[in-house]
Amino acid sequence: MNIACEDRDRIFEDGSPAEWAALEAHSANCAACAEELRSWKAISVLAKELRDYSDTPSLWPRIERSLIAEAATKKQRAGRWSWLSLGFGLSLGWQTAAAAALAMILTVSAGWIYLHPAKPVSSGDQSLLKSSALAEVERAQAAYEQAIDKLAADAKPQLENPATPLQANYREKLLVLDSAINDLRAQAGMNPSNAHLRQQLLAMYQEKQQTLQDILEEKR
Amino acid sequence: MGTMGLALPWETRISSVPREREMRVKPSEDLTGRPNQTAAPAATTTAPSEDAELAERCRSGDLGGYERLYALHGVRMKNVARNLLGNPIDAEDAVQETFLKVQRSIGGFRGQSSFVTWTYRILINTCYDARRSRVRKKEVQNDDTEDSPRPEPRAPGAHPSLRMALERALAGLTKHQRDVFLLYEVEGFHHAEIAGMLKITETASKNTLFQAKKNLRHVLEPPRSNSTAGAR
Repeated sequence: MNIACEDRDRIFEDGSPAEWAALEAHSANCAACAEELRSWKAISVLAKELRDYSDTPSLWPRIERSLIAEAATKKQRAGRWSWLSLGFGLSLGWQTAAAAALAMILTVSAGWIYLHPAKPVSSGDQSLLKSSALAEVERAQAAYEQAIDKLAADAKPQLENPATPLQANYREKLLVLDSAINDLRAQAGMNPSNAHLRQQLLAMYQEKQQTLQDILEEKR
Repeated sequence: MGTMGLALPWETRISSVPREREMRVKPSEDLTGRPNQTAAPAATTTAPSEDAELAERCRSGDLGGYERLYALHGVRMKNVARNLLGNPIDAEDAVQETFLKVQRSIGGFRGQSSFVTWTYRILINTCYDARRSRVRKKEVQNDDTEDSPRPEPRAPGAHPSLRMALERALAGLTKHQRDVFLLYEVEGFHHAEIAGMLKITETASKNTLFQAKKNLRHVLEPPRSNSTAGAR
């Protein structure tokens, strides 16, 4: 095989073994190519300076501990989710539609109540819900929670065995949302007429619904 | 977040040791004249059957499977992470995080690709995430926003001045060029493997390596004479 100086860069980039051999042969009679070849190879040799395969004895025990801890957490979570698997016969489409409809109802009622409060009682706080409105909100909230639980049950397989880091992130996000929802519910329990708290709670539920829908969309 | 696509061909399998190919400089051609002080791990190739068995053991939650994976690839994974992140502490964290991600995601591993390739892809994405979060932290602290890794001391066997010169030169490459160079020249991966890990084509990997080496040579070894330049 005959090689010319012009072929050198192409061979450096993607030369076959035969072409490399021909370039080596050509370099024996060409000082410029010999120098280029030497310099090209020198970088490969130098690269090995960055190779350090020394072991860190403490690393595997550390990884092992974290794997064991993760497996234990996974088991706990699986236990927590198991109650959700009880008979939810609705199809995914219906569950999504129901959740969306309930979200709409809850948004409209909470917004209406917030923006158009009933005639204030003497020195009443505008942000407080009247008892009849409160009962309505609580009913809507309970229905909304139930619908979201159905979505959660459907997303459970992906959450338990996330196939991608993105799904693992969704799981973490849901844990954070659940924690925030629990906090808000506790506060709303102590101060049930506070419309602002109800709205925050609604926002959290909507976020959770959206996250669960994203997970289910990804599954499709 | 970058996700790990799993559709890699089975041929894209990764040996637990870097391979020295015909196109690479053989040990006898080591121009530094020193013996190779950073020997590769024991030569155990991850055969398809072993790869599948390893995946199955990990999937079933067998801790021994993870231990085997670490025994075969742990030090190499750590070296990849160290070269991508620039320091051993972050590298160890990245390897640990990778094992956790493998454990979390193994249920979704369909076996369409080599398990080990899939694991390295997770490692590289984990390093990218760590790099991004480090850059964000720097921005928050109004610190120097340079995002190239800051190298730290390595194994005592390495030649410090050569290594530092190379690290300085690598910092001048694009991230993409640096990553391909490190995976090919330092770790000994094939272009097919690198393509799978970085989600690029084999041709792109070859071309990027060529550009990286050209740039490195320009920095490390400026043109010496007109005759050399004229011959190009």
